[in-house]
Amino acid sequence: MNKLYDNKLRLLIVDDEEGFRRTIAKRLAKRGLKPVQASGGEECLGILKKTPMDVVVLDVKMPGISGIDTLRLIKQEFAKTQVILLTGNVAVSDGIEGIKSGAFDYLTKPVEIDHLVNKIKQAFEMIRLEEEKQKELEYRAKLEKKMIDTERLVSLGTMSTGIAHEINNPLAIINESAGFMKQVISTLEMSMFSQKDALLMGIEKIEKGIKRARKITHQLLDHVKKPESQFSEVNLKALLYETLGLLKKELKDKNTTINWKIDKKKNVVWSDPYQIRQVLMNLLSNAVHALQKNGSITLSICEVNEDIILEIKDNGIGIPKENLSKIFDPFFTTKSFHEGTGLGLFVVHKILSNLNGKIDVASTVGKGTCFQVRLPKYDKSNG
Amino acid sequence: MIKIPAKVLIVDDEKDFVEMFSLRLEGQGEKVSTAYSGKDALKVLETTIIDVVILDIRMPGMDGIDTLKQIKKLYPIVEVILLTGHGSTETAVEGMKLGAFDYLMKPADFKDIKVKLENARKRKDEQEERIRQAEARFLLRRSGDV
Repeated sequence: MNKLYDNKLRLLIVDDEEGFRRTIAKRLAKRGLKPVQASGGEECLGILKKTPMDVVVLDVKMPGISGIDTLRLIKQEFAKTQVILLTGNVAVSDGIEGIKSGAFDYLTKPVEIDHLVNKIKQAFEMIRLEEEKQKELEYRAKLEKKMIDTERLVSLGTMSTGIAHEINNPLAIINESAGFMKQVISTLEMSMFSQKDALLMGIEKIEKGIKRARKITHQLLDHVKKPESQFSEVNLKALLYETLGLLKKELKDKNTTINWKIDKKKNVVWSDPYQIRQVLMNLLSNAVHALQKNGSITLSICEVNEDIILEIKDNGIGIPKENLSKIFDPFFTTKSFHEGTGLGLFVVHKILSNLNGKIDVASTVGKGTCFQVRLPKYDKSNG
Repeated sequence: MIKIPAKVLIVDDEKDFVEMFSLRLEGQGEKVSTAYSGKDALKVLETTIIDVVILDIRMPGMDGIDTLKQIKKLYPIVEVILLTGHGSTETAVEGMKLGAFDYLMKPADFKDIKVKLENARKRKDEQEERIRQAEARFLLRRSGDV
């Protein structure tokens, strides 16, 4: 038996004939396996409850709970454990029954020890294969969920763009009507009208409402790819500096420290500078918003193969776990309307998927948030 | 200063919008004509002198861009400002390449409208002035020949 199994393989032998069991155990031990022993079905299940086993070698003919019943109970409660049955020479039907009930295989007594070792090895191999299969399934499920999430966001994007567009037209009508009324009320002949101020106030409220709605629709439509923006060499470091410049006041008010962790490479991507700036602006202003006084933002850029990875990390309030899956949804926000529309990260996500980039987030409440943006150094599909 | 009214043509299939918008512009002292489709707009232009056309890009039938092309072909001096409810400025930029003066995104700020309208009108006036001067020089030279 090769060394690999020596420490890993957890083996249990169950047989009511003590002499036979001990002999087998001893001979297995010589081959590097250290089996635990049980004299019957009940003891076997008791052991399994305390210590999980990989492989159980199980005698079929035992007093008390029979081998087959024990097998069924094992498979019910410890599905991962593989069972090899030992049957009497004439009872082939027991073996077949056992396999139907989930046994890995059966061997007839008297047992050829090398044969048994081989079977144990195969059973163990089976467990590993199944574990791998399980892992792959989980991985695939995760991937699928991510794909569904992305697709959902894309279709939400398409829909919201359409809605924004449709809303702009009636909004324009309301806007012109309100504007006209305001114009009329401001004329000389209306100066005698006693409720002029109240009416004017009402109209101003309408105009404020229009502005608010327009802010949303324009923001939703903002990130639609602009033809005038050309792909060019974008220096991420320079762009970060520039964007920080726009946030100078906020950074100063909160006395924020900026840490740079930038490798000595060129830090350039071939992309759309306009849209990248929008991404940086949204992420940086989020970071600043999340900070208390005297907080810090750590900016890092590094190259990995064909990608550039940019990290924007703050030590601010963090995002609660239950919100993490929603932050890229349109209109998801924890702020009031005046502070944010809930479209910032949605737009970031949309821009990055258009540019064949990616965004990931990690966050701990009270410790801070890190957004990781991955962009291809050269976006072939858009070049 | 006495304001010389600009002769404006508003073209949009949204009747409510056209009605209110024209009332507002008239209130500001402009002379406004209206049309609810590209075809109507061309008909208006046949009979009326217009300085600036404010033209919606998205219209059923003949759309804004087609209308713009026709206007620029038949009345190259008339200035056109495009209106778009569309987020993508793509078509607006295409329109400007075809000769539109500028574009506005719906719902537009009235101040923006006024400024753009003013500038468009100014450009048309200046262009007409240059044409007049060129014509005058041409006539002068011709009379000199005689």
